[in-house]
Amino acid sequence: MVQTRKLKDGSRQIILNGKQYDVITKVLSELATKTKASAILFADMSGQLISQRGNTDNMNTTVLSALAASDFAATSEMAKLVGEEAKFKLLFHEGEKRNVYLSNVGDNFFLVVVFDVSVTLGLIRIYTKKAIEDLITVLEDTSSDEGGDDNVIDSDFSTLLGDALDDTFK
Amino acid sequence: MFINWALQEINLKIVYYGPGMSGKTTNLEYIHSKLDPSLKGDLVSLKTKEDRTIFFDFMQIEVGRIKGKKPKFNLYTVPGQVYYASSRKVILNGVDGIVFVADSQPHRMEANIETLLDLENNLKQDNHTLESFPWVIQYNKRDLPGAESVEALQKRLNFFNVPSFEGIAVKGDGVFNTLKAVINSVVQNVQNQL
Repeated sequence: MVQTRKLKDGSRQIILNGKQYDVITKVLSELATKTKASAILFADMSGQLISQRGNTDNMNTTVLSALAASDFAATSEMAKLVGEEAKFKLLFHEGEKRNVYLSNVGDNFFLVVVFDVSVTLGLIRIYTKKAIEDLITVLEDTSSDEGGDDNVIDSDFSTLLGDALDDTFK
Repeated sequence: MFINWALQEINLKIVYYGPGMSGKTTNLEYIHSKLDPSLKGDLVSLKTKEDRTIFFDFMQIEVGRIKGKKPKFNLYTVPGQVYYASSRKVILNGVDGIVFVADSQPHRMEANIETLLDLENNLKQDNHTLESFPWVIQYNKRDLPGAESVEALQKRLNFFNVPSFEGIAVKGDGVFNTLKAVINSVVQNVQNQL
């Protein structure tokens, strides 16, 4: 299972190991092949990009993830205002050349599928639904749990980071 | 904080919070203007026609590899205007550290206090408290005539005695020190809790 650690002050640490990352990337690759989507992003609700597939070279996917997360956030506020008790599960943006299909994956993650208008929405819907099921399985699977390097952020790390920051911000 | 072992990445989310027009976006703009292009992404600003932040500003910065790991910092601002309360709340989702940008002008003192209470209230909803959460204060606009004394600002705003800095964000004064301090606070906080 993707490790989510709560720190004493209430803040949250999400830790993804190598195996989980590989499986997630494989699910995205399959989705990309089946749907011929231009780009597929998997990210968490705080806007953190986790994995991407497709032709993303000319796309700023870091920013796209941040914007997509706020898209979800904004619409969940909208849901409250119109009397919808749950959050909206999917968002669809229709353009002249490209469409964007966003769907949540559990409560904490979401998928962004960017595709040409020549691809039908139905096809995207069907394969995305399947991919979401697969992703949820990966996220909940405990068999691949492996301890990462827990103490990576030690005093040595913070000293070196301090130096790097001094260097970067001179 | 999001750690991806496959890519050896450690991602932190830092949010600049503060009343309207206190200089949150200016902080990010200065950082963006000074960093080496290889270490920064685009600065995205969702602004109104009047140049006020309507949703947030966003920028990702890096500092290279540390012990084989690649720390990345995702910097966000929130809109300061009172009526954008719900945008402020959602941007705090998954936050690791906060910079509170206060306006040093005496007539903005109430706005500073009101925004700080709004921050505390939003943090509480995620089970954080200002007392234990990593955050720092920047007293911005120190160059303006009639700016409130730092002592007075400290007394009214810094009741948990967090690191504080004087800033003139338009000129860049205090901007990097503030950012360094908040990153340090986050790292210290993680160390203390492991």
